[in-house]
Amino acid sequence: MRFQVNPGDELPIYRQIMRQVIDAVAGAQLKPGDKLPSHRELSQELVIAPLTVKKAYDELEREGHIQTLRGQGTFVAEQSRALTASARLDRLRPLAQRLLHEAALLNVELERVQRLIVDESGRLDRTRGANAADKRSK
Amino acid sequence: MAILELGEVRRSYDSEQALRGVSVSVEPGEVLGLVGRSGAGKTTLLRIAAGLLKADGGRVTVFGLDPWQHSVEVKRRLGYVAESQVVPPRLSTSALIDLHRDLYPSWDRELERTLLGRLAIAPSKPIASLSKGEARKVLLLCAIAHRPELLILDEPAGGLDPAARREFLELSIELLANDGSTILFSSHHMTDVERIASRLVLIERGEKVIDAELATFQQEHCVAVLPAPAPPAAERLRSVGGFVRSRARGSSLHAVFRREPAELKSELHDRLQLSDVAISRLSLEEMFVAFVGAES
Repeated sequence: MRFQVNPGDELPIYRQIMRQVIDAVAGAQLKPGDKLPSHRELSQELVIAPLTVKKAYDELEREGHIQTLRGQGTFVAEQSRALTASARLDRLRPLAQRLLHEAALLNVELERVQRLIVDESGRLDRTRGANAADKRSK
Repeated sequence: MAILELGEVRRSYDSEQALRGVSVSVEPGEVLGLVGRSGAGKTTLLRIAAGLLKADGGRVTVFGLDPWQHSVEVKRRLGYVAESQVVPPRLSTSALIDLHRDLYPSWDRELERTLLGRLAIAPSKPIASLSKGEARKVLLLCAIAHRPELLILDEPAGGLDPAARREFLELSIELLANDGSTILFSSHHMTDVERIASRLVLIERGEKVIDAELATFQQEHCVAVLPAPAPPAAERLRSVGGFVRSRARGSSLHAVFRREPAELKSELHDRLQLSDVAISRLSLEEMFVAFVGAES
């Protein structure tokens, strides 16, 4: 996957990296066991301090998204090492609140919001399938 | 042990107080970005740290040594590039490098060759014929080829065009990635600070206003925007915990707080009945303006 950072953003650079890894795992561009670039590689590629990359990786590891194997590198963690079910729900709650808030502002009823989520989920499944097939064919 | 330790450092020029008791310490491997408005005292602080200027008062130790008592040893172990370094214009690049090589017993010929190769500059060229960006890189080479334990850069990218600035940053990052160098630098470019620094120190009128880890600093603050507030509302904002500063922008009022956004929002809503307040996070540049810009 290709990382990209935008200094001057409201999100600190290390958070931008974290978000990209988490999104890539969610979107299946990154799979458990995939290797991430080293601190040094990523720092040179993005022109950011190696300590910033380290900070992003440390936080990702603390949250269970990735794991570092001594002398081998950093890898996307197996799902079992990630968050507990209730912690995952807690992570989603603010996003759900935000979605409902926006929906209320736009006068979109709950039923339609629910249908939207189901539709988007189907679309995401299809992309995931395509990404996985793409990886297999490589 | 800290590489550099400044304790309550004071310095005046005639009757003008440039530093009014500033304390800063730099740990090994740390990259400290020093920011502040022009004339805030950044260059004075860096020159004192480099042992080029004597403080009027306070403690200064570099590598655990007094830079005035152990002037040669300290200077040999650090690298320094001034904001507007004066170089004899007819001197060639190679002659300038030769001069520096003779000064430093720890000079690394191998590193010199590698860096010179990367810069793609003909060593016979007079310094005066180089572009500003090229000249800066040659000076950086001269400051790092002896593998300094502390590198001090005053506005390293000052006056460079965006491409030259980026090339300079890339070179600095490479150094950091390879050597884990300790760097103290000043800059007006907040995006450069964000790219390289791990810690941020902001000085304003000779005093330290902020000293924080860059990553957490940005997350600890947020801005509350009140569209067209009545004067009492603006006044009441000041009494809210974590209030830093407020500025009028157009008809609205922007107030920066050191608070968790959700918590601040509920306090402003419930306690102050400010229902139309919007709260958001700030970019580093906006924070800089919030902390040192004119207050209104």
